[in-house]
This record gives sequence, C-alpha cells and structure tokens, in this order.
Amino acid sequence: MLPAALNTRPLATHWRRLAAAALCGTWLCGCSGSGAGLDSNGQPLSGSSSGGTLPLSANFDAIQANVFTPICSVCHAGATAPEGLMLDATHSYNLLVGMPSTEVPSILRVKPSDPTNSYIIQKLEGHAAVGGQMPLGETPLAATTIAFIVQWITDGAQPGTAAGTMAATFRVASMVPENGDVLAVAPAQIVIGFTRELDATRADTAAVRLERIDGEAGAQATTAIAIQPSVPAANPRALLLTPRSPLMAGQYQVVLSGLSGTALSARDGEPMSAAPADANGDRIIARFTVAAPP
Amino acid sequence: MRIAPLLAVLACIALGSTRVAVAEPYLAVQQGYKCVACHVNPTGGGLRNTFGLVYAENVMPASTLPAGAPVWLGQVVQDIVRVGGDLRTDWSRTRVPQSPTQQQFALEQFRLYADVSVIPNLLGVYVDEQVAPGAAQTMEAYARYGNTSDWYLKAGHFYLPFGWRLQDQTALVRQVTGINMTTPDNGVELGLERANWSGQLDLTNGSANSGTGSGYQVTGQLVHVQSRWRLGAAGSFTRADAGNRQTYGLFAGVKTGPIAWLGEVDLVRQAGYPNGTRTMIPALAEANWLICKGNNLKLSYEYSDPERSVANNGQTRWSAVYELTPIPFLQARAGFRRYQGIPQNHLQNETLGFIELHVFL
Repeated sequence: MLPAALNTRPLATHWRRLAAAALCGTWLCGCSGSGAGLDSNGQPLSGSSSGGTLPLSANFDAIQANVFTPICSVCHAGATAPEGLMLDATHSYNLLVGMPSTEVPSILRVKPSDPTNSYIIQKLEGHAAVGGQMPLGETPLAATTIAFIVQWITDGAQPGTAAGTMAATFRVASMVPENGDVLAVAPAQIVIGFTRELDATRADTAAVRLERIDGEAGAQATTAIAIQPSVPAANPRALLLTPRSPLMAGQYQVVLSGLSGTALSARDGEPMSAAPADANGDRIIARFTVAAPP
Repeated sequence: MRIAPLLAVLACIALGSTRVAVAEPYLAVQQGYKCVACHVNPTGGGLRNTFGLVYAENVMPASTLPAGAPVWLGQVVQDIVRVGGDLRTDWSRTRVPQSPTQQQFALEQFRLYADVSVIPNLLGVYVDEQVAPGAAQTMEAYARYGNTSDWYLKAGHFYLPFGWRLQDQTALVRQVTGINMTTPDNGVELGLERANWSGQLDLTNGSANSGTGSGYQVTGQLVHVQSRWRLGAAGSFTRADAGNRQTYGLFAGVKTGPIAWLGEVDLVRQAGYPNGTRTMIPALAEANWLICKGNNLKLSYEYSDPERSVANNGQTRWSAVYELTPIPFLQARAGFRRYQGIPQNHLQNETLGFIELHVFL
C-alpha cells in the first residue's frame, strides 16, 4: 500500500512533473484579471458604480465603502431591507451600533469593544443562533475582511469621518422607516439618526410621539401609540422608538415636539434645526404605512 | 512491512467486504479508497472509524508508537459509542495592500464528534459539535438508517455532498459554490455505496432559505472510484426567495507515484442580482507530494471567474502547504497563500502565511 507509493524515482522528476502541471494548470484555468474597465468590485465602470476607493481598514468609512455598500446593501436597502436593517451609507451606522438585533433582541448588532457579542460578527462568521451566514447564499467574507470589522468593533465602533466630525447643525440625519415607506411587516423598532449626540434626558414621550392616522384625508384624526423612547448608550446619535405592542396595519407618523420645554436637544444644549413647529408645536418628520396582510 | 496486513484485517472487520480507505481527499486518492473507509460519515470528514484511526496511528506519522503501547481506537463502548475530535490552532500573518499587516494567534477550531450505533449497521445517531471558537454550534446532528457500506438514509442537520470535501474551507471551489463544511443544512439524504460507486441524493431547506419557511435545495453526487483514479459529478438546485441557484461540478483525482492530483471545476448560476443572473466558474488543481512518510507537500492553484459576462475580473489563488505528521494524531502545517485579483480591489490581492498545529483523535 503505502510503500508502493514511496517509490525511488528521483526527486527532480517529481519537481519537473509538478512544475509542468502548474504551467498547464495556469494555461488551462487562466490568470487573474487586469481589472481594466472595472470598479473595485469587479463591475464595469458606470455612473452608478458603487465601488469603494478607500483601502479596507479598521474604520467605519473604509468598512462602509468596501463591505456594507458594495456587498451588504445589495439586499439590505430600502423599505424591504431584511430585518429592517439598511446598510447604505446613510443608515448603516445608526442601525448597527448599539441597536438590538431583531433576530435575537438580547444581542446588539454591534456592541462596541465586544466583537464576540456583536450579532454582525456572529452572522458574518456563520454561527449566529438564527438564520444563515451573511452574505446570505453568497461567498462568505474573507477572514481578513471580518478581522477588520472585528478590529473596528474592538476599537469602540467609532463613527466614520463624516459622522464623527461635529455637525454644524443638530438635525435629523436618517430615519427608518423612511418617510413614505409602505411596509409589508410592521417594524419592531423605529430608529431616528441625528447629526449630533442627543441629550438622552430629553428623549421621552413628550419629545417624540408615534401616532396612527385614522380616517380619510380631510377628516384625519390621530391616535397616540404607546412607545418606549431610548438612546443607546453605545450610539448617542440614535433615538430608538420601540412600540409597546405590535403595530397593526395602517398609516403612522412620527412627531417631534417643537416646544422649547419638551423638544429634543443635542448634548451641548443646541436645539434642533428643523422646519418650524405647527400651531400645536409639532414637527412631523415621517409618515409610513404598515400594509394589511394579504 | 507488518502494517499492510494489519490494515487489511482491520478494514475487513470494520467495513465488511467493501473497499475501505483513508482521511483527507488527497489521502483517499493516494490510497484509492472511498471516504467511508476512514470516516463514520459516509460522505467524509469528521469522526474517524477504526480503520481511520489505525491509519492515523500507523501509516500517516513519521514515527509510530512503540509496540504494545496503548492504542486509541475511539470507542467508548465497544461497537456502540464512538467519539473523536479535531483541534486546530494557528499563527497567521495576513497582508492586504495598503493596509496594516495583521498577525495573530488563534484557536481556529475545536470540534467534538460522537456516534452511537443504536442498532449496529442499521440505526445510528451522529453529532458534530463545534465547541470553539465562539459559542458552541452543532455542525451536524442526524439520524442514520441503513448500512453505510450499502444504502442508507440520513435525516437531520448535515453537510451536503458536493465535490472534494477539502479541509480548507476557504478554497475558491468551496466558497463560490457555497457548499462546504461551514454550511450544513437540514433535510434528508439517500446514499448508496457499491464497490466502485458512491452516490448521494439530498433534499434540504437550502441555506439561503434559512428562516424564510420557503424554498428548498436538491443536491446529488455520483463518484466512481478506481485504485488509481476517480471521477465524480455533482449538481445542486436551490429554489429561494433571494434568487434561484444552480450549481454543477466535475471533479477527479489520480495518483502518479507519490503524487496525488485533485481537480475540480464548478459552474454556479445565481439569480437575484440587480443586473440579473450571474454565472460563476471556480476551479481547483492540487498536487500532494508524499515526500516521505509523515511529510506531505501540497501545492494548489485555484481560479475563479466571479462573473462570466464581465471581462478582466478573474481571481487566482496559489497555495503551498507543508504538512508534517511527526507522531500519531499530531500534525504541524506551514503554508503560504497568495491571492491575485483585479488590482483596484486590495482584498483580492492579499497574502497569507500560517503555521498550524492540528491534534486529532
């Protein structure tokens, strides 16, 4: 058996055989591409090319440009984003950092300084308790790529340059669900991202409300929906609204108070820069619809 | 010289009159046997059977145990309960252009296996549990009805049969097809083993359908095995909300002297991309040179076309790995992998060096 395999043919013969096979293999299979006419994701250059130009490193901007935008946001975008997780550049940070996962709410999607207990890492490595490995049905990310994300989380999951720079004005930067969205599934949470860190002591039901719109246009009435507002400690730029009971089919609006005594403010006390409040002191920042089940 | 008769006897005891064999695919090609010869799982990988352990103790290592030394045969309860495991820990250094070089020690894998033959050669239960890193995770857990040297039925959670079941799960053929030892699925498998043939047919959820409650995956594989060569074909179809997926593969192995050659070419068609269906072709060519007992040099070349309709986007990977098995159940591996892809994507041009310690039982 084995001794027969260990024949006495000179080693040089085997080396020559290996080298010849390697050459044949290269010729048969081809070489790596030149990349001519392609973006960094290997797609033909076009006006809509989304390739990142930053080299991948352990910071949010680089991960967004090289991973979230070109790979994840193919599915995780728009009103039908799986689990309501939108990973385009506008939404991803606020929906990831300090936010409970919807599949396992006891685990944060990104828990700063704790990659092991960050759901995104469990999903990327394929050992999350629920669901398949991400990217779903695609080639898993290279271990090196995941290592950069792990390092970013280990370093505290800091925001990228754009978000990290003190914004000139305190205003709403993103919202999920977005204004005008029609959702097939009621959202478990509503996330509002701001340009500056919030004063968490002002984030209460006087400052922000969720209302269901009843009646036809012209004769609309609203019903307040019980919610729990909170500012994740790990992401003070986000305001999380959790309905106390599942939202039924219907139209909803998110309302911020414009009254000076109850309005949200930045941590440094700056009031929000937004459209003037209406006669009731309210600012409607988004309306969305939860569709009736088929 | 006394090893061969011992192996032959144990082989016949363990597996009746069927042809029996060894562990990793290249070893199987080197010896001319089927996966089921060394593994409890008829499609290979995981828990080793008595023959596999005897091979690991006597044939693989450069130095064997002294005569009369206690021998590990994996049996907790004779012919009923068998256990085993794999532990891999390594140091690796990864370099990506224009990024800081990373190096680290890591526990890559600690797995425990168990098999209970409730009724020998008729009914069994198999478990493959990943203990570390991270939280414990059940990789395989299935009930098996029938005889793995004849025909059998599996039901539960298991790896799908498709192409070479390589130890390296990052090989392009395993990554692009998405069928590897990190993507077990739930369903049933019908298997048939004949003297020179091995076949499986699986009906499972499809990993892309996890949690959706819809869709399915059908996977089939047929392999013809001869003492010096083998040829296999595999196919898989996944119906999924995220887009249907068709995967086809051809793989072959041949032995020339001390070199075992492995080759595989796959074709993957995945629907659901914004620009329609994408066709991908990964390929593998691997040479394993058994330089002397316990010393193997593995050279591999891989190619992947990530989208047939796009030119200039090919990716390659060259690997050189030296495997030293100095004593039974202990293997040291040192390797280098060079990825090459389009220059504007630095991740496609990384280099990786590693030194790994592998203890198995």
